[in-house]
Amino acid sequence: MASALTALQGAPLPDRLVEVLPFGSGPLGTAIAALVGAAIVGSLMMTMTAVAGPWAKRKVTAAFTDRYAVNRLGPFGLVIIVADAVRLLSKELIVPEGVDRPAWDLAPIVLAFSALLGFAVIPMGSGIHLADPEVGLVYVFAIASIASLGLVMAGYASNNKFSMLGGLRAVAQNLAYEIPLILIAVSVVLFAGSLQMSEIVAAQAEPLVTVAGFSVPTWYAFVNPFAFVLFVIANLMEVGRNPFDIPEAPTELVAGYQTEYSSVYFVLIYLGEFLHIFLGGAVIATLFLGGPAGPGPASIGIVWFIAKIWAVYLFTQWARSALPRLRIDQLIEIGWKGMLVLALANLVLTAVIVGVIA
Amino acid sequence: MSNPWIAVGALALVGLAIPLSMIAISSLLRPSVPEQGKRAVYESGEVPTGDTRIRFNIQYYMVALLFVVFDVETVLIFPWALIYSDAVAEFGLGPVLGPMLVFLAILVIGLGWAWRTGAVRWVKSERAEIKTQL
Repeated sequence: MASALTALQGAPLPDRLVEVLPFGSGPLGTAIAALVGAAIVGSLMMTMTAVAGPWAKRKVTAAFTDRYAVNRLGPFGLVIIVADAVRLLSKELIVPEGVDRPAWDLAPIVLAFSALLGFAVIPMGSGIHLADPEVGLVYVFAIASIASLGLVMAGYASNNKFSMLGGLRAVAQNLAYEIPLILIAVSVVLFAGSLQMSEIVAAQAEPLVTVAGFSVPTWYAFVNPFAFVLFVIANLMEVGRNPFDIPEAPTELVAGYQTEYSSVYFVLIYLGEFLHIFLGGAVIATLFLGGPAGPGPASIGIVWFIAKIWAVYLFTQWARSALPRLRIDQLIEIGWKGMLVLALANLVLTAVIVGVIA
Repeated sequence: MSNPWIAVGALALVGLAIPLSMIAISSLLRPSVPEQGKRAVYESGEVPTGDTRIRFNIQYYMVALLFVVFDVETVLIFPWALIYSDAVAEFGLGPVLGPMLVFLAILVIGLGWAWRTGAVRWVKSERAEIKTQL
C-alpha cells in the first residue's frame, strides 16, 4: 500500500523541496524548505478563499435567486475581488466601548489561524502534501476545534448582547455536532486501518466493482454511503452553514459573534469561515471521495482535489439558498437524539460488516 | 523522510504571518476619525441598556457534561478502530467486537437516561412551558 502511494504522490512537499532548493539538507535547508512548502499551501488556500468569498458566493446566490450579481469590473466581474480587498482593508477599525482586549483582537487571528493550520496534513495531489504524520486525522479534528475557542472569545469580548448569544450558541452547536462527526470518521478508520491521511487515500485506490468496463474505486462514499451522508450533514454543522448557521442567524442576532467587528478583523473572521468550509470539504474529499484520485494521470491530482473541494463548497451554498434555518432547540435535539444515535449505529454496523468480511 | 511536525510548525508560522500582515497593511491604509457615539455597542440603533456580562442561563450545562463523557469515549474508540481489522484476523470477531459493544451499550444507556430526564432538551420560558402543558 505504501509503495503504491509513493508512486502516486511521492514524498511530502518539503522533502522534495530540499532536493530542489540550493540550501542543502541541514537544519537550515529543512527549515527553509518547510517554510516554502507552507507558503505554497497557504497561498493556494488564500487564493481559493479570495475567489470564493467576494465573487463565487455572490454569483452562486444570484444564480439561485435569478439575479446577475457582480458583472461590471473585469470578465464576469472577477476584479471585484481586488476592489473588495482594498475596500475592506481601508475601512476604519471601530473599537466599541467596553470590549475585552486583547481577547477581542485575538479572536479573528485565532479563527483564521486554526482553519489554515488544518491544511497541513491534507494530501492535495500532484505532490502538494505538506506533512504526513501518523495521527493526521486526529490532528485535523483537533485543529479545527480551536475555531470554537475563537468564536467564544469573539462573542464574550465584544460586550454586545447579540455577540454574547452568538458565542453561546456556537458552543451549544459545537457540543452537539462534534461527537457524531468524530464517530463517523472512526467508521472510516475501521475500513482504512490507519489515521495517516496518505494511507486513507491509498486504501481507496483499489477497484470496488467493474461496471461495463468502467472501474469504480473503493471510495468510502461508495462503500458506505450512509456514513457519507451523515458526515456531510455533521460537517455543515461544524462549519456553521445553513441550515445550521444558528450562531450568526442574521434575522435573529444581527451577525452573532461578529456584530462588533469591522475593517480588517471582519475580513479575518470571514477568511476563517471560508477556510473552514474548504477544510471541511478537504476532509470530506480525503475520507470519502478518494482525495486527489480521478481519471487521468496522477500528476493532475490537484485539479480533481480542487474540484471536489469546490463541489462541497457549492453544496453548502446550495443549502444556504434552499433550506430554512433551524431553531437552536431543534439543533440540540437533532444533534443529541438524531445524529449521535445514527452515528453510533453506523459505527456498530460498520464494525460488524468489516469484522465479518475480514 | 524528515519529521512531519517541522512542516506543520512552518504552516503555523505562515498561518500567523498572514493575519498579522493583513492587520499591518490595514493599519497603514485605514483612517481614524474618532467621533462621539461611534463607539457605542450595537443594539439595533437604541442606546444600549445595561451591561452584557450578567448572570445568564446558558441552558446546556448538562449537555456539556454529556459532551465530556462522549468525548472521552471517542478518545478510547480511536485506538480500537485503528487495530480492529488486524485484531479480528488474529483473535476472531467475538473477543474484539464484544467488549466494545458492552462499552458502547453502557454509554447508550446513559444517553437514554439523559434523554428521559430531559437533559438534552432546550428549556423553554415558564410561559411557553405552561402553554405546552395545556
